[in-house]
Amino acid sequence: MDTLLVPFHYDYMLRAILVSALIGGVCGLLSAFITLKGWSLMGDALSHAVVPGVAIAYLIGLPFALGAFVTGLLAAVAIAWVKTGSRIREDASIGIVFTSFFALGLLLISLNPARVNLNSIIFGNILGISVPDIKQLVVISVVTVAVTVLKWRDLMLFCFDPGQARTLGIRTGLLHGLLFTLLAATTVAALQTVGALLVVAMLITPGATAYLLTDRFGVMLWLSSALGAVTALAGAYASYFLNGATGGCIVTLQTLVFVVAFLFAPKHGVLAASRKAKRLARMEGETAL
Amino acid sequence: MPGPLADRGASGIGHPHSAAEAAQAAARDFPPLSLKVDRISVMYPNGQRALNDASFSLSAGTVCGLVGANGSGKSTLFKSVMGFVNPVSGTVRINGRPVREALKQQLVAYVPQAEEVDWQFPVNVTDVVMMGRYGAMNFLRISRAADHAAVEASLRRVGMWDFRGRQIGELSGGQKKRVFLARALAQGGRVILLDEPFTGVDVQTEEAIITLLRQLADDGCIILVSTHNLGSVPEFCDRAVLLNKTVLASGPVEEVFTEPNLTKAFGGVLRQFHFEHSTIQNHDGRQVRVLTDDERPLVFGKDGHLEYKDRTGREDLVKIRSEEQD
Ligand SMILES: Nc1ncnc2c1ncn2[C@@H]1O[C@H](COP(=O)(O)OP(=O)(O)OP(=O)(O)O)[C@@H](O)[C@H]1O
Ligand SMILES: [Mg+2]
Repeated sequence: MDTLLVPFHYDYMLRAILVSALIGGVCGLLSAFITLKGWSLMGDALSHAVVPGVAIAYLIGLPFALGAFVTGLLAAVAIAWVKTGSRIREDASIGIVFTSFFALGLLLISLNPARVNLNSIIFGNILGISVPDIKQLVVISVVTVAVTVLKWRDLMLFCFDPGQARTLGIRTGLLHGLLFTLLAATTVAALQTVGALLVVAMLITPGATAYLLTDRFGVMLWLSSALGAVTALAGAYASYFLNGATGGCIVTLQTLVFVVAFLFAPKHGVLAASRKAKRLARMEGETAL
Repeated sequence: MPGPLADRGASGIGHPHSAAEAAQAAARDFPPLSLKVDRISVMYPNGQRALNDASFSLSAGTVCGLVGANGSGKSTLFKSVMGFVNPVSGTVRINGRPVREALKQQLVAYVPQAEEVDWQFPVNVTDVVMMGRYGAMNFLRISRAADHAAVEASLRRVGMWDFRGRQIGELSGGQKKRVFLARALAQGGRVILLDEPFTGVDVQTEEAIITLLRQLADDGCIILVSTHNLGSVPEFCDRAVLLNKTVLASGPVEEVFTEPNLTKAFGGVLRQFHFEHSTIQNHDGRQVRVLTDDERPLVFGKDGHLEYKDRTGREDLVKIRSEEQD
């Protein structure tokens, strides 16, 4: 019994578990919007594009969130520019831009190995997170949650039917910017927890899982945040015993939950679908007779 | 020569006691409504000029059919009226004011083409109709009793109240259409735009939607409907706009729907059935029945004037036609 409580005796572990849960919850919350809006690729791009910003911020001693935010924004502008300014498709333009930002980040880090730790950016370093960094994360999380709780209906309408939002006189440009800003901020926050490579999982998997489990957006929002928070908490906790990377544990756990939902979800699971197909086939067979 | 359809919209705003009161009530409930598209040209970013110098105007109590071949700019015209695209020249005015102001007052409602909607989105019928109320709600979009009442009334009006809990993807094509129509009703839109509402809809639902549109026009709305179904336009529209990158003709349906105009709008693409070229004999008289699968046929009489399906309600027209005989 006591061994189960051991992680909580270490300050660094307790901190890691709580911060992971917070970030997991916030990412989960946003993932409901990101998956439905079709911005999953964008999340992946952002998580790589912020790397040079983080590196520069550490080099010149600015808050890492600020640097990350600026390069994230630059990347988004670059993606839009490449897409509209040429005949290159969106996925290709996203690919071109985020890999070049990522390469620039790697270059900067490799030139200054003493000042910035490559591993902690790529794979996250939640166990060694500093107090100022935690403060940044808490601010980002509180703002994101507050904005989402206040404006989730507008954001839902924006994801579902931007045309309707516009005919109601709602400024969709603002909502677009808002959702993108929240996404960028959350990406930065998650970078610390699971690292640049796995951020996108935190921003997609909980939303995708919740989507299989409900037909109401409000429920999906709660479910994906709860899934994000619980899996991040449990993953970080388990990483102590497995002695493995925190990010790896969290994302693996999220994937396991997703697979369970994918197979067994009452209405949208694979098994439910095939059961329904069989029943339909049987009914049709009977009416044909 | 205004036909019997042209002035239908004038009636139907309650039964006040005097003309003055009536005018007052009308001003209170329905401020004078007008839609004026004035010489607009629309260019897409890729350089495609979708509309060129298009003009027409509509006033309250009108159902107007927007007719044109694929790519003639119907959807683009809708987008201009909704302020989604900005014309490179010309203006769209609603009640004499720019579109943006009309949108702020929730005057414009839109029923999208089915392809534009993500049917797997986790919202149910009530959620979708409630979205029509967002403009009237406060900053947090928390629904009040009045919003719920409006949603229920709209859903009942289109006959979809029993489906209120369904996820929207689990409805038939016609039911989906009616849900979005209910959203326009709940919004209280006065200028209602419907992009091809009859595609994938059975005859019965089409009739139901048409009845509803007529009622809304009688309440003083402006209804603009794009459709490929030529035959249905004379049956339920007061006016028509023929589009092919520009407005070829606009006005009362009888004046717009002439063979030369339609040929101009559609080139040679319309299917035709000429009696004198067909196997029908003189001794068959008027004993010909026309069946079509989904579209209503558009029938022109001897002198190229429109023929309608139903005599009832068009007694004047029947009289005129019978006098022509002599
Ligand atoms: N987003 C866009 N970007 C560039 N060109 C466009 C865009 N949308 C439409 N067009 C072009 O503008 C013209 C008018 O298109 P529009 O969609 O208005 O036609 P439509 O009358 O609605 O056709 P349909 O009957 O097929 O719905 C077409 O030539 C089309 O190729
Ligand atoms: Mg169209």
